[in-house]
Amino acid sequence: MKLQTKLTLFNTLSKLVIATIFVLLLPVLIKAINQHYSDSRVLKQKAKLLQIIKTQGIKSYIQPGETQAGYYTPLKEDYVSFHLDTTTEDIDTIQNEKRILQGDTIDYRILSHTFKADNKKYLLEIATSLDAINETTGPFQSIAFAVLVGMILLTILADQLYSNYVLRPLGQIIKTKLISHKFPNFGSYKKVETSTSDFEYLDISIHKMIKTIENTFQKEREFISNASHELMTPISILQSKIENMFEQEDIADELKARLLEMLRILNRLKSITKTLLLISQIENEQFLKEDSIPLRQLMQEIYDEISIRLQDKNISYTTDIPESLLLIHVNKFLLFNLFFNLINNAIKYNHEDGEIKVVASRENNTWVVRIIDSGIGISAEDLPFIFNRFKKLRASLKQDSFGLGLPIVQSIAAFHEIRIEVQSEKEKGSIFKLIMPDFLIKI
Amino acid sequence: MNVLIIEDEKGLADELEIFLNKYNYVCEVCFNGITASEKIAVNLYDFILIDLGLPDYDGLELLKEAKKNNPEAICIILTARAEVFDRIKGLDLGADDYLPKPFSLLELQSRMQAITRRKFGLKQNLVDLGGFVINLTDRTINYQDVEVSTITKKEFDLVAYMLLHKNRTLTRSQLSEHIWGSIINDDYDSNYIDAHIKNIRKKLNVHAPPDWLETVRGLGYKIKVNT
Repeated sequence: MKLQTKLTLFNTLSKLVIATIFVLLLPVLIKAINQHYSDSRVLKQKAKLLQIIKTQGIKSYIQPGETQAGYYTPLKEDYVSFHLDTTTEDIDTIQNEKRILQGDTIDYRILSHTFKADNKKYLLEIATSLDAINETTGPFQSIAFAVLVGMILLTILADQLYSNYVLRPLGQIIKTKLISHKFPNFGSYKKVETSTSDFEYLDISIHKMIKTIENTFQKEREFISNASHELMTPISILQSKIENMFEQEDIADELKARLLEMLRILNRLKSITKTLLLISQIENEQFLKEDSIPLRQLMQEIYDEISIRLQDKNISYTTDIPESLLLIHVNKFLLFNLFFNLINNAIKYNHEDGEIKVVASRENNTWVVRIIDSGIGISAEDLPFIFNRFKKLRASLKQDSFGLGLPIVQSIAAFHEIRIEVQSEKEKGSIFKLIMPDFLIKI
Repeated sequence: MNVLIIEDEKGLADELEIFLNKYNYVCEVCFNGITASEKIAVNLYDFILIDLGLPDYDGLELLKEAKKNNPEAICIILTARAEVFDRIKGLDLGADDYLPKPFSLLELQSRMQAITRRKFGLKQNLVDLGGFVINLTDRTINYQDVEVSTITKKEFDLVAYMLLHKNRTLTRSQLSEHIWGSIINDDYDSNYIDAHIKNIRKKLNVHAPPDWLETVRGLGYKIKVNT
């Protein structure tokens, strides 16, 4: 999941949780606020009433001789009552209580207070209906909910816009520095514009790492170049010396035969060194992939080189390749060597009068090239190891090979992102299937 | 023809000199870049063979100097640094050919001949071998004005190479290095040269027996030309 999606999701969820808790707590809060408000109201009324009684006397509320008096608002939301109190204890409380007034049971918040006037003790009750309070809670809750939802949506939108803005450099770093770069060719450094110091640090760190990798590759390239020089030069000297000796008139034929043997062995050393260097150069991507060539033409060029070997074993060779099939973005030299080695193997491990077919076809929306031979095949237990360097299988011991043919094929295929699958049956033959990526093919 | 050999490996430089002397080239040898640079500035050469990996001098720099002071000289780069980039760089700077080490001396001589032919547009290169007229320019073989058209490109390459080194025995590995040298494969001992020679003989034999194409028992093949 992308960082921005995660942040948005977390923001939304956390805000929703907080809002829900708030909305759920709202009735309790409203009740508490209302209670506090009505309490202070009744206390104020009490103070006012006591003040009036003090200055004007109790008679303005309760007639002499009467023991009680009450005053209601028309719908009985509030009332004030006076009772003559005969008990001795003093009361001064505010409580929720039920009262039956003219047949209706109503919940009130009631202030009870005893006071003395005209040497008599009275109980004053100031009440306010709780229904009025409760009725306001509902609307309050829904208004609060609506306002909150609106606010949450607004903040999510703002968060989204801001995180989008603030995270853009990160996306750019990933896109331009990590995804688009093909190992180990990184190209030149372009700074990613950002005001966030973390991203700046990340960008610079990645750049430093790329530089380090590039340096390492450069060193490796130099090493290969030096190693090849160091190996090739002595071989070259030996070869020239033997060749010049071979030319001398006064050398006996027997000695010449031995010089020839030395030349052959030197050639073997040369082939191995050249092949190892080629593989390491391919693996270091030191080849360009800028050629295009029709597959048919490439196979014809290989046929021209290899036809003598086919004739030698009287092997029939057929191809079935669409004329318009063009290989693009390839290295011709390398692909030539890939197919040459595969066909050369198909000849080497074939029977006299055998056959080899090269077939290019479209399969599951990809182009596949098959090299099919009627040769000796590869046993199931050998199959996993055929691409290992210097691995000589029993069958190849009879051949003059040093076990680098298929490793070359594999390196070249990997360099071009071609996948190889091998099917083989002992004494029936082998099929080397090359699965070509789309970007190598034009038709 | 004058050849300047610039090669820091004395062992190799000596062999180059011995070999080229046999082919009547006059050789001068330099083992380092500084003397080479002085020689290039003073003398004129027909060929300059430059080893890119000199310890005291950038070989490509030397190539530039050679092209400036000896514009007519044919420059061939000899190097063990067979990387593509070097190759492009060397040819861009005006090298006429490029020979990766290790190379066969015969290959070097055949390249030198080929460039000379190309550069000076030598007169029709015709050689008569027992009635067969080998045309090295058009790459054809004729017998009494009839073209031996069955000869393939590879087969002609072999004949031309042996003809260039006439009267000397070429081994199978020297021949296969010449015609298959650029292919990297897993064989170190190619006997397919025999099959090629067999085919060449068969195709020529239709017209006349090619006695000049000799098998040297146990060693290889040669084209014999009476001089």
